[in-house]
Order: sequence, then structure tokens, then C-alpha cells
Amino acid sequence: MRSWLPPVLLTALLGALSAGMPTLEPLFQWVQPDKQNVIYERESFLFLLQNHLMLVVISALIGTVAAVAGGIYATRPSGRDFLPLVSQIASIGQTFPPVAVLALAVPVLGFGEAPILVALILYGLLPILRNTLAGLEGVDATVRQAALGMGMSPFQVLLQVELPLAGRVILAGIRTSVTINIATAAIGSTIGARTLGDPVIAGLVNGNTAYVLQGAILIGLLALTVDSLFEAAEQVWDRRFLPQAAG
Amino acid sequence: MPNRVLPVLGLLALALVWLLNLGVIQPNRIVPGTGHGLVSAIGGAGAGLVSLILAGCVLLSLLPVRRRYLPLLALVGLSLALLPLLLEVFADRHLPDDAPYARSSIGAGFWCLLFLLSLMLIEILGRLGRGRWLQLLIIAVISGSWLWFLRGDGLESLSLVREFNARPDKFEQALWTHLALAFGAVSISACLAFFLALKMIRSVAWRRPILGAVSFLQTIPSLAVFGLLIAPLSALAAAFPALQAMGIRGIGWAPALLALVAYSLLPMVRNTFVALTEVPESLADAGRGMGMNERQLFFKLKLPLALPVIVEGVRITAIQAIGLTAVAALIGAGGFGSFIFQGLGQAAMDLVLLGALPTIALALLADALLTLLVASLKPTPAKA
Repeated sequence: MRSWLPPVLLTALLGALSAGMPTLEPLFQWVQPDKQNVIYERESFLFLLQNHLMLVVISALIGTVAAVAGGIYATRPSGRDFLPLVSQIASIGQTFPPVAVLALAVPVLGFGEAPILVALILYGLLPILRNTLAGLEGVDATVRQAALGMGMSPFQVLLQVELPLAGRVILAGIRTSVTINIATAAIGSTIGARTLGDPVIAGLVNGNTAYVLQGAILIGLLALTVDSLFEAAEQVWDRRFLPQAAG
Repeated sequence: MPNRVLPVLGLLALALVWLLNLGVIQPNRIVPGTGHGLVSAIGGAGAGLVSLILAGCVLLSLLPVRRRYLPLLALVGLSLALLPLLLEVFADRHLPDDAPYARSSIGAGFWCLLFLLSLMLIEILGRLGRGRWLQLLIIAVISGSWLWFLRGDGLESLSLVREFNARPDKFEQALWTHLALAFGAVSISACLAFFLALKMIRSVAWRRPILGAVSFLQTIPSLAVFGLLIAPLSALAAAFPALQAMGIRGIGWAPALLALVAYSLLPMVRNTFVALTEVPESLADAGRGMGMNERQLFFKLKLPLALPVIVEGVRITAIQAIGLTAVAALIGAGGFGSFIFQGLGQAAMDLVLLGALPTIALALLADALLTLLVASLKPTPAKA
């Protein structure tokens, strides 16, 4: 149970800060004495947080399903031909900077939430795909043979042997992908997606450091919260599935 | 055995190039233009030639002929190298002579063709399995040809070229700023990481705190780090005028470099530490047996063996730093990111491309060169 303590605390802090930012007005007044408005008010922080999270969650869900499906297909006998290309795409694609991917989505899809969602899905797919391939390829061939020998169908082997064994690596891929996407979604406010990056950008444009700080603190806190959730999930996974824990 | 990947890619390219617009003619910089499909853009003969080449690739890859990958490589490589020719023909056919602000831009069909042909090239190179030098040679030929076309007269009306021609000095400045920031961050963090890794090797107690701190830094999104550095740095600059004279302010290169270094630490420290600790103890013993002292052991045995993994860390860091430098333009650090964000602000998509494409090119170049370096540093097994 102890592994869930950090995410719970961080979530509480994130929620409290998003809801109660106006109460910190004196503090920000001290940071930025020469401005009238020191609390970002164009949108509520809770709304921005919710929108930010939604973008990340949707892209993570679609990305995970697509990447795991693609990874499974490329490691089956019927899709093996595609394996070299798919793994090349997964590694070359990750050299593309996220900002550039975001920027390239705009000419094609215009401003707003659509291009950022597409960019987040495409870019977030790559680490998951890479880890899915690594995880599935890492399953010992003898284990697979043993499962087949026990009379399992290939589908059962995939579901009951390969995926549980590769799961930890896939989970790590999802963690990397979500971390990158939280950062990229924040930059997405430059292309019109309403995320926690908004106060930062508005503050930079108007020279209002207080806005910048509010946005930056919440973005950082969001990233830490989500990361601690994954940390806890990985610990739970290890306790449940790792061989020495069972022994 | 016939290849299934190339026909799929080839047919997809064939379908998309016919379905989507190859190019767009814009009356000026901002107004959306009119798109032209394949036949309209480059004429019936051109459309036929493009389709013929793609169909040829598909057929060739389906034939059970041995050694078909070499002609395929030639075909796809040549098509990629000559691809700008399509844009030249398109501009020549459609650009009105009497409209000085009119410009041609690249359409979705062209991007798809470029993307799918690149995938085909990657697949062919993978199947050929020749050395990295062949790959590098082919990429060099293709990029050289593209640069030659872009510098030539035929593509002067291309909006990307127009945007470049409007600010050649700024482009060059952005290139150097970008390189200086990324390279500076990588070298500083490499030195820092080396000492941190040594510290971690010497004392076990330092391992968890150092690794925890650098992965904490990596978790915080870039925009937040840049934002959080503004207030402390401006306070510092206000308190110490000497710092201000050096150009250290809340925005600009100082917070950018600081944030980039902070980001670069995790891959550097992790790789350096792992590389140095994973040198087999048996080898160190062999060295001791030969009479090496600890210092010689480190510099003559451990470091050379660890170097490939350390350079792999440099590769990861360099790619990441090049991408993050683009974000740093938001806090006024310059570089190619300034074109991206300026273009986004003015809704001038070609300016966005002028920033995004060189950033990607730099990242790919750094990746290629450092991968090559890693490969050449790997110890070659002694011949029996």
C-alpha cells in the first residue's frame, strides 16, 4: 500500500493548487510587483488541467492500443516480413523532435486540438511500439515452445504467456510516452490547444513572470503526479508478477 | 522469396499520389491556395512516369529474382534524389508570370510520396544488409541532390525557398545559435556526468540520490523548466550586475543552456555509470596481472571499453538537446525554434516548415554521425 502514498499526496497537492491558486495572490504579487493581474484568469486552472489530462489520456489510450496491436502483428509469423521496417520506424521516428512533429501537424490539420492530438498519438506511439517489440522478442523461445507443447493455441500463448511476460517492458514504454506527451501537450498551447501551457505562453508574451510560474508549477506537478502513478503501478506489477515474489 | 513490405508501401504511395494534391499554388503568403492533383500538377506524361516507376518497384519486389534489391535500391534512390524535379515541373506549369507574390507549396501527395519512398529505401537497405557506409553514401547523394535543386533557379518560387531567401542571414544565425546551444549543453553535461558517474562508482551511498535527482529533472516538462528558471535568473541578474553584463538574464541563452544541461544529465550519467561498471572484473584482473596500476587500468582498459556506451549516451543527449533547443526559442534563446513559433504566430506555415525541417535534419544528422561513431568505437574481436 505504501507505493500509492506519493501519487495520492501529489494528486491532492495538484488539485488543491489548481483550485486554490487565487489564494496565493500575495505571494505572486511579491514576485511580480509591477502588474495589476498576477493570477491567470482567462481560463480556470482546473479547466486547463482537465483539458491537458484529457489530451494526454486519449492519446495514450489510442497510442497504446495501436502500438501494442502493431507490435503483436509484427512479431506473428504472418507479419514477420514487416518486423525490420516497423522496428526501424520506431527508432528513427524517435529522433524527430516532438516540437517539430507538433509544428508539422499544423500545416496539415490547422490550429486547435486536432493537430496536437494527432501529433501526440503518433509521437507517443513510438516508445510503446519499441518496448512492445523488445518485450515480445525478449520472451524466451523455449517458454513459448513449452506453452505450445502444453496444448495452448497460439492465441492463448500470446494472451497468457507472452503478453504477461512482456507487460512490464510495455508499461515502461507507456510511462516514457506519457512523460513526453505531457511536455509536448504543454507546448501545444502555442498551436491553440488549451492546456496548462497557456499561462506560461501568455506570461512570456506579456512579460508576466507570475503567470509563467503558475503554469510551470502546475505542469511540473502534473508530470510528477503521473510519473509517481506509473512508479506505483510498476511496483505493484513487480510484486505480483516477478518470479522471486511468487517463490 | 518475394518481399511483401515493398509492394504494400509502393501501392500505398501509388494510391495516395493519385488521391491527394501534389502541389498548391498560393496567390501570396497567407491566403490558402488552390491544390493540384497529380495529372493537373505535372501533366499526363509526368503522372504516367511517376506511376510507372512506382508500379515498377512493386513488380520488381514481387518477382522471385535473386539480387533484385540492388536494382530496387537504384530505382528508389534515384527517385528520391530526383523528387524535387516534380516540384520544378509543377511550378513551371502553374505559376502565373505576372504575379510576383505567387508561390508554389508542397502538397500532401508529395509529402506522402517522399515519406513512403523513404520507408521503401529503409526497407531495401535493411534487406541488403550492407555496411553503414553504403547507407551514408546514399543518404549523402540524396541530400546533396535536394540541396542542389533547392539552391537552383527552378525552385525559386517554392514557398519554403521564398521564406529562406527573405532571411538568409537570420537562417545562418539561427543555425549557429541552435548548434552552439545544443553542442554546449551536450559537452557541459558530458563533463558533469563523468564526474557524477565517478562519484557514484566510488561511493555506493551517492548512487540513489544522484540517479534520483537526474531522473527527477528529466520528468519535469521542458516548458515548465524554462518557465521556472526565469524568476530566479532575473533575480540573480538584478542582484549582480556583473552577471547581467555577461548576458545572463531571465530569458535568453542562460536559462536555455541551464535547462538543456539539466535535461542532458540523465542519459549521460546513466550511460557513463553503466558503461564503466559493466567492464568485466576478469578483464580488470587480467590488467592487474599484467602489472597495470589503477590509473593505467582506468585509462587504458576501462575507459576504452566503456566508450561505445558513453558515446551512445551522447547520441541520445544530442538528439534530445537539438529538439529542446527548438522549445527554448519560446524564452528568447533563438535557434530554429524561433522560426517555428514566429510562423505559428503569423499563421505562415512555410515559415514553420523553415524552422521544423532543419531541426529534424539536424537531429537525424546527429543521430547518423554518432551511431557511426559508436559502431567504429566497438572493440573488434581479435583474430585467432
